Parts: sequence; structure tokens; C-alpha cells
Amino acid sequence: MNLTSVSTKRIQKVTRYLITYILLILLALFMMGPFLWLLSVSLMPGRNVFASPPAILPTFIDFDNYVQVWQFMEFPRYISNTVIITLLGVVFNIVLSCLTAYPLATFRFKGRNLVFTLLISTMIIPSATAMIVHYLTIQAFHLGNSYLGVVLPAAVSVFNIFLMRQTFLGVPMDIRDSGKMDGASEFRIFIQLVMPLVKPGIAVIGLLEVMAFWNNFLWPIVVLDDPQKYPLAAALTYLNGQFSYNFGWIAAGTMISVLPIIIVFLFTQRYYMEGIAGAIKG
Amino acid sequence: MKKAMRSESFTAWAFMAPGLLFLAVFTFWPIIYGIPLSLTDYSVITETNYVGLSNFTRAFQDHNFMISLWNSLVYVLVVPVIQIVSILMAILVNSRIPGVKMFRAAYYIPVVTSMVAVALIWSWLLGNNGVVNYLLMQAGIISEQVSWLSTSSTALYVLMFITMWKGLGYYMMLYLAGLQGIPADLYEAARVDGAGPLKLIVHVTIPLLRPHILFCTLISVMGAIRVFDEVYILTKGGPGTSTLTSSVYIFQKGLEQFNFGYASALGLIVSVLVGALSVLVFRLNRKGGVNSY
Repeated sequence: MNLTSVSTKRIQKVTRYLITYILLILLALFMMGPFLWLLSVSLMPGRNVFASPPAILPTFIDFDNYVQVWQFMEFPRYISNTVIITLLGVVFNIVLSCLTAYPLATFRFKGRNLVFTLLISTMIIPSATAMIVHYLTIQAFHLGNSYLGVVLPAAVSVFNIFLMRQTFLGVPMDIRDSGKMDGASEFRIFIQLVMPLVKPGIAVIGLLEVMAFWNNFLWPIVVLDDPQKYPLAAALTYLNGQFSYNFGWIAAGTMISVLPIIIVFLFTQRYYMEGIAGAIKG
Repeated sequence: MKKAMRSESFTAWAFMAPGLLFLAVFTFWPIIYGIPLSLTDYSVITETNYVGLSNFTRAFQDHNFMISLWNSLVYVLVVPVIQIVSILMAILVNSRIPGVKMFRAAYYIPVVTSMVAVALIWSWLLGNNGVVNYLLMQAGIISEQVSWLSTSSTALYVLMFITMWKGLGYYMMLYLAGLQGIPADLYEAARVDGAGPLKLIVHVTIPLLRPHILFCTLISVMGAIRVFDEVYILTKGGPGTSTLTSSVYIFQKGLEQFNFGYASALGLIVSVLVGALSVLVFRLNRKGGVNSY
């Protein structure tokens, strides 16, 4: 009696595992399938691609597409453009959102609620016209066709400010008092005592912004007149327009643009996902 | 004490000044400046005149704008689908079985990938000789090739599908965070009362996820109305006006034809619409008896 109940329980557990894994794998095929197919296409020589039935799995693996598109597309240039834009964007966001969030979390001052209300209202009021006004503003500052023009409209976000405020709230306030006792200035307390304690929050903002700036394509196209300054995602639309006949090249080019960000994500997913999840609790 | 507070106040504003300056220029200013701009015929090329509300009356007689608003509203139908699928996904990846974290990461990869890449991949998969047509024909679901993105009756729904596919992982993570906040003994108690898996979902999971459902519904409604990248890359609003969404139309009027005044008026109308929809989502949720947000 007891023995059979144990074994039925085990069978139940095994079937539950089995069903869960089958569902997980089916879903993985749905979510990852398009990327795997792209990878497969990028590893096939071009003539295979338009065959009917369509080539899904590569018959042999060959890096020709990568070599050729790399030589043709000046990838180093586009990659360095992307890196410059991403670095600028990340630095601006980290510095500005930390500076803005710190007093909101720790200081008592007049106008604090006003600032809060203003910030929240931007999240509720959508700005469909923002891009047009950003364009006019960037032109007025004579920042058209410059990396700064690409980065500045997204230099700080309300979302990041809230995320950092949440992190600062977790820092014990005795630290600030003890710093004051020793006669340190507020700024020194902030830089030397508080900032080291909020590294996880900074990492989350950094990651979110790396993804955002790396993938940004439309605004750079609007601001930059010179395609030589385009970041990767924008250059990709360019590639697609020019070489639409050479499918394998575009597939390889797309893989080259996608891989760095996927690798960054895979190595940092824990912090990244915690940050996304933590953001709505605040 | 008062003096200390005043100096603290000064320091606080000094800290916030750079950030607020940027927000003022790039977040508050566009919201405010859009209003006077919408009352002019500003277009860079010709002299700017004050035109009163004529941009707005023109908008409501603009057939294409009305179509774009309608398409944007149709696009919102993607919202409930996203919630249902991503909640089910979250329940699935909340299982405590080995390797589940790997699957979570896999489902999240479309989220971190650029929309350009995602759109390109799907445009190939959905092409005439593409994999999707091949698989559907093999399965006997369709009898001949369909040009998914260049057929008026399918293009909008295909775009909605791509939007959903790219966003699922994001919403899954938000719901997963919600699920992990539900105490296990609630499930235990319900199980002791004889609830099966379906009843557990309906009576325990969904009610406790309500705040998350509200949040995710809100951001996905705003996202659906603002949708731009995938439409712009894949169809530019076509064929005809079948995928012309309001953001694409505003972009065309503003940054392609440089009718900044008119585009600002359109933007304002859409903003009011999004605001109203957000309030509606809040109201609907309030009726359910949850006011935790």
C-alpha cells in the first residue's frame, strides 16, 4: 500500500517534469527558433537560401558570409560608432540619475513632493510629439549630425531616477551622519561613502542603457546626416536596402550586430532581470 | 534647525540641478512646446503663422489620420493576448525544475535584441518562399503561399504578432516577479481545500497578480499606441494604409514632410487618447476591487 503510493507519486512527479520540459522546449523553439534559423542561414553559402523547400538547417558550415560582409561593410567603424554612443549614453544616465535620485531618497527639503509629482506626470503623459521637438531642440543647439545629439535626449530617464531612488533608500542613513561628524562635505559623502554601496543599482541602470543605446536605430538616423556615423542597428537597415539580393551577407551582418548584446545579456542576466523585476515594486 | 534644513534644501537642489535641467529640456519642454507648436503652420521652409485651431479641424477631416487612429486602436487588441500568454509563460518558468533559468534567459533574448534585427528576421521568415509559408503548407493549414506583409488583410495582424513575440519575455519577467511574491502557503491552503491546478490559477494566482496585470496592461497599451519601429521598418504603413498607425503617420507628417505644426497637433490628439485609455485601464481595474496602486 505504502509502497505503491510512493511509486505512483514518483510517476506523477516524472510525468509532471516531462510535460513541463516538453512545454518549455516547444516555447523555446518558438522564441529562439528565428535566431537559430538566422544563425543557420548565415553559415550557408548564399545560393542555398532561396532553394525550395527553404533551407532550414545548413548542409555544411562555412564562414564565408561573415568574412565577406565584414570586408564589405566596414564593421569596425559601425561597431566603434555604436560603442561611442552607448558609452556616452550609459555615463550620462548613471551620473545624472544618481545625482537626481540621491536627494529624493535621503534629503528633506521643500519642493521634494513637487519634483516627485513632476517626474511621475511624465510617465503618465505620453509624448508622441517628443521626437519632433527633440529634433528642433537638437538643431537649435547645433548638435545635428553629432553623437551628442544622438545621446542627449535620452541622457536621463525618469525610470532610472526611480530605480536609483529605490536603491538609495536601502542605504542606512547613519553613514551620512557619520560622514558629517567627520566634517565631510555632502558631495564627498555621496561619492566616497554612499556611491560604493549602490553599485548593484548602478549596474542595473548601466545594463538597461547599454541595451537601449546599442539597439537604438531611428533617432540616430534622424539626427545623423552622415551614414558613416551610424550605429550598428541603423547601419543594418542600410545593409538591408543595399544588398537585399545577398541574403547570406545580411544574415551574417545581422548576427554580428546581435551577438555582442546577447553575450552581454547572458553574462549579466541575473542582475538585469532582478532590476527589471525590482523596478515595478518601487 | 531651520538653517540646517535650508542648507540641506540648497544641497538637494544642487545635486538635482543637472538631471532636472536635462529633463526640463528633453522631457518637459517637448510636452509643453508641442501645444503652441500645434497652433502654427511651422514647417521650416515657409514663414510661420499662427493658425489657431485649424490644425485640429484639419486633423479630424484627415481621412488618413482617422485610419491611422483606427489602426492604432486595432493594435491595442494585442494587449490582452500578451497578458494571457506571458502569464502562462511566467507560470511555466516558475516551476522549480533543473535548467529552468536557462529557458527564462532564452525567452528573454528577443527583448534585448534590436527591433531592426527582429524585424529583418521575421520579414524573411514571412516572405513568399519563407519558412513560415513552407511550414504552414506542409501542415496543410494554407494551400498556397501568402504574402503576409504585403497583403492588406494580414499585414497589421502580422505586425501585431511580431510586437507580441518580441515583448513576451519582458512581460513574462514582470509576472514572474509577481508570482515569486505570492506566499507558497496560499497555494497549500487552496490545495488542501481541494483546488485543482486550474482553480489555483483562477482563484489564487490571477487575483494576487492584479497589481502586476494593471501595470503590464498600462505599459502595453501605451506601447501598442506608440508602436513605431516594427511598422516603420517592415511596411512603412502599407500596403495602402493598412498598417498606417498613428505614430507612423505623425512621423511622416513631421520628420519626413516637415509639417511640424500639423504633426504636433496630431501628437497632442494621440496623447489625449493615450491618457484617456490609461485612465480607462485604471478604472476597469479599480472595479475589480483592487486599489493597491
